[in-house]
Amino acid sequence: MVRKLISISTAVAVTMGCSIHAAADTTPEDAADYRIAIMTTLRGHIGASSMTVRGLVEDRGQLVNHAQGLANSAMELGNIFPEGSNVGESEALPLIWEESEEFAAAIVKVQDASLEFVEAAENGDAEAIGGAFRSLGMACRGCHDRFRVAHD
Amino acid sequence: MTGSALRTIESKLTALLTAAMCLAAVDALAEDDFLERGKYLLYAGGCISCHTEDSDDALPLAGGRALESPFGTFFSPNITPHRETGIGNWSDDEFVAALWEGVSPQGEHYYPAFPYTSYTGVAREDLVAMKAYLFSLEPVDKASKEHDLAWYMSTRLAAGAWKELNFDAARFVPDAARDEQWNRGAYLVRHLGHCGECHTPRSMLGVLQMDQEMAGSHLGDESVPNITQHRVDGIGRWSASDIEYFLDLGMLPDGDFAGSSMGEVIDDNTSNLTREDRLAIAAYLKSVPPRETP
Repeated sequence: MVRKLISISTAVAVTMGCSIHAAADTTPEDAADYRIAIMTTLRGHIGASSMTVRGLVEDRGQLVNHAQGLANSAMELGNIFPEGSNVGESEALPLIWEESEEFAAAIVKVQDASLEFVEAAENGDAEAIGGAFRSLGMACRGCHDRFRVAHD
Repeated sequence: MTGSALRTIESKLTALLTAAMCLAAVDALAEDDFLERGKYLLYAGGCISCHTEDSDDALPLAGGRALESPFGTFFSPNITPHRETGIGNWSDDEFVAALWEGVSPQGEHYYPAFPYTSYTGVAREDLVAMKAYLFSLEPVDKASKEHDLAWYMSTRLAAGAWKELNFDAARFVPDAARDEQWNRGAYLVRHLGHCGECHTPRSMLGVLQMDQEMAGSHLGDESVPNITQHRVDGIGRWSASDIEYFLDLGMLPDGDFAGSSMGEVIDDNTSNLTREDRLAIAAYLKSVPPRETP
């Protein structure tokens, strides 16, 4: 519940258009690099979770850690898209700031799905874990479809 | 007539009536199965993505999607069963001829932007099921848009000449040397799912270069990846499980996600398939020789 409140408040921060000037020392490049670092962290946890969920590697208890890591980084999503940070290696599309409400809602979906994945990884059976991870994947892709530069 | 004779007739009639009702129920069930199968094949055929306009409130299968090509812009037609603006007047044979031969009921040649070049391998019973499902949907009254093509392509005769040179209508023939899973995958990849229409490079004339099958190509400005077994240029390092999972969820083995056109293919096509069919696609792709991206 607490995490849900956090997820909503961070999403609200995005819709309110928090800018990089909020932190005086953060340059647009820093903001873009930090975003890439968070996204890379998410990608690592997702890749490792995917292999574990599919049974390609044994679950020695690491799935819960990856799920929690995922959820922790997902909670940061509302803070890492300040206006003006679309510089350098950034693959963000301007639509993020043009449709900020839709984008904020998409982030909340990812955050909720990541919390449900933690819940499943902690207490669920294989089917529940697979289902929760699937939902999380769909939520992630919902953003990557519309708000990121298309990859080859 | 005695009471017992009447009772016998009554019980026989009841039995007959029950049998007739059962038969009707079986027919209805078979009809439902048939339509369900048609719906499934429509997903597998990727019909929905191209025949639905690219907007949030678009009516499914009512056409209007713009397909950019070096020869101009094609607009997909309405394939709902509307009698004037859709395909509501088409017979089964006309539908099959469109997909096998690339010919309209009026005898006009289709441009190969409509991938009959791949659909030509699809079995008739599959096409008839797809048509039955399409005809079970609500007709949409929406006129199809004219294509916007270069002058030399703007006559259907050009499409006819192209076909004469570059197209052989032929059904899929299973390879007896391969197992059932591979053959199912080949049928889905090469014909129904027409993956090569985007992933296989084309000649100047727009002909798929089958000696470069799945080596990557372009779709307007978007580059379409190499999905051969090449370990650097292609997906040679992906396991069958990686491919199956990607086709289900759009999740790459490294935890990234597909966007762009493949995201749509996953939504409208591959995520709706059974796991067995996705694994069959994977088995086929694992057999495509490694090729460098041209």
